[in-house]
Amino acid sequence: MAREVGKKLDDPQITVSETSAAGLSLLDSIVGYDQVIIIDAIQTKKGKAGQLYRMKPEDFSFAKHFSSPHQINLVTALELGKMLDLAMPQKITIFAVEAKDIASFSEKCTPEVEQAIPEVVKMVLAELRC
Amino acid sequence: MKKIMIDPVTRLEGHGKIAIFLKDDGSVANVYFQVPELRGFEKFSEGRPAEDMPQITQRICGVCPEAHHMASTKALDALFHVEPTSAAKKLRELLYSAFYVTDHTTHFYILAGPDFVMGPDAPPAERNILGVIAKVGLELGGAVIKTRHDNHWVIQTIGGRPIHPCFGLPGGVSRAINEEERAKIEEIAKSSVEFGKLSLKVFDDIVLKNKEYLDMVLSDTFTHRTYSMGLVDENNKVNFYDGKVRVVDPEGKEFIKYAPRDYVEHLAEHVEPWTYLKFPYLKKVGWKGFVDGKDSGVYRATPLSRLNAADGMTTPLAQEAYEKMYSTLGGKPAHYTLATHWARLIELLYAAERMVELVQDPEITSTDIRNIPTATPDEGVGIVEAPRGTLTHHYITDERGIIKKCNLIVGTTNNYAAFYMSVKKAAEDLIKPGKKITEGLLNRIEMAWRPYDLCLACATHSLPGQLPLEVTIYDAQGNELKKLSQGI
Repeated sequence: MAREVGKKLDDPQITVSETSAAGLSLLDSIVGYDQVIIIDAIQTKKGKAGQLYRMKPEDFSFAKHFSSPHQINLVTALELGKMLDLAMPQKITIFAVEAKDIASFSEKCTPEVEQAIPEVVKMVLAELRC
Repeated sequence: MKKIMIDPVTRLEGHGKIAIFLKDDGSVANVYFQVPELRGFEKFSEGRPAEDMPQITQRICGVCPEAHHMASTKALDALFHVEPTSAAKKLRELLYSAFYVTDHTTHFYILAGPDFVMGPDAPPAERNILGVIAKVGLELGGAVIKTRHDNHWVIQTIGGRPIHPCFGLPGGVSRAINEEERAKIEEIAKSSVEFGKLSLKVFDDIVLKNKEYLDMVLSDTFTHRTYSMGLVDENNKVNFYDGKVRVVDPEGKEFIKYAPRDYVEHLAEHVEPWTYLKFPYLKKVGWKGFVDGKDSGVYRATPLSRLNAADGMTTPLAQEAYEKMYSTLGGKPAHYTLATHWARLIELLYAAERMVELVQDPEITSTDIRNIPTATPDEGVGIVEAPRGTLTHHYITDERGIIKKCNLIVGTTNNYAAFYMSVKKAAEDLIKPGKKITEGLLNRIEMAWRPYDLCLACATHSLPGQLPLEVTIYDAQGNELKKLSQGI
């Protein structure tokens, strides 16, 4: 999805990165930017595969004290950045796409998620124009 | 019979499940440390071009991809029968040393730190990195973040990407570094040496000067006399990137030393029906069950084991710290599991010092970075020391270099029998009839495996939609009596 967004952008002020980084490593990547948009997969209890959600870090504040197997989670990493007075982005938006199958390995998305890609691209580009 | 479940285990890469079964009188009947994941990387590597393996296998997890990339690249050297150039070897080791600095920093401050800095009885809401930094100060917190950030820049500069490098090729690496990059890496390396020294001082102040913690480190509850494994250079000194695998017995006497290609002659794997992960053991000693001692083939491959298996460090400050540790612990080898945290910090200092040595080597900016392979590929084994233990990649291909068989023994796997035994012993010693089972007590049991820095490998990026740690106590009839949870 990030790759598709990157194809539509030609602005040296915008960096498009694909990463599997989480927690502290993600913090390393976002420090110094004015605005950050994160695209990731999500699984909710009653979600429909391919469903899109526009979220803010505060939406995950319930998870602040959860220990994460990936070192620390996003909310804790952001709080750590603020605590250490790092140059944190003013605005962080998260676009989450409901995943259908997170247990099987494949080089392709499921059809439902594949179909959601153009809409995600549209939403990210609209967010950048805000 | 009562049952206590710890599932999934906190501050652990991947998912693990601890089940503690109690007798009717409240003492421990049995313990299981299950790994319910089956990931199958070895299987789906079959049919792939071998040169894709450094990219595929590093996706096993998000914490130690550099280790898999490096072991895989070395396996390709062997597979294609090509010796990397001298400059390429130095660039690989330079990147790998920077990776060690980041990885050991993360483990000590983020994963192990809360146990010691906040204490095992601190509320879970405080027993995390935010609590640690609030206690040790923003200055040290800033140094932790800066060291990680700077060394990730080193990894990105040499390896092409900050998390998953893309520079390892059979016979060398894909790009050289220029003088400007070298100079900046040198600055970071020197700063990392200072950070390594500071971290050892933090350990000294917080753990060694605290009698309660020191007693815990030296206690029998957290001790196992096993064989120790680690990669050593031609002088039997610690080396993370290259050398032979040396194993010493529980008394410290060399038991075996082997080249990577010979690993199958020395290691075998035991299987239990209750877990997907296998238990490697020393073939010549044999599998005698979950017991320690000289007659048991159980070995450990941890930072402390690496130091036990070697005759010392090649860099001066790390050697000094190494001598101090063994002097404090009453000689070598040391079998105190919690001292693994200390050994890890000595390794951090060594990695930083080694970075300085390598980046000051005149050859480091050489553009002679690759020997092109010309031989037909067949079979290759690559071994490096991953932060969590000796990492082995073994590939067999057809004449086109297509993978026919792949075997991986990852760092954590080496230690499975040992960390299972550590958890069992801690549970048996700490859970007693009539003693209340508190979160602090359960955290002490977790402290038995945390030094191993387990990496059972994550399968998903899912947010924790469930409690990260849950302990359920059942009565003899299997009815739930009480539920405890951590991480709320």
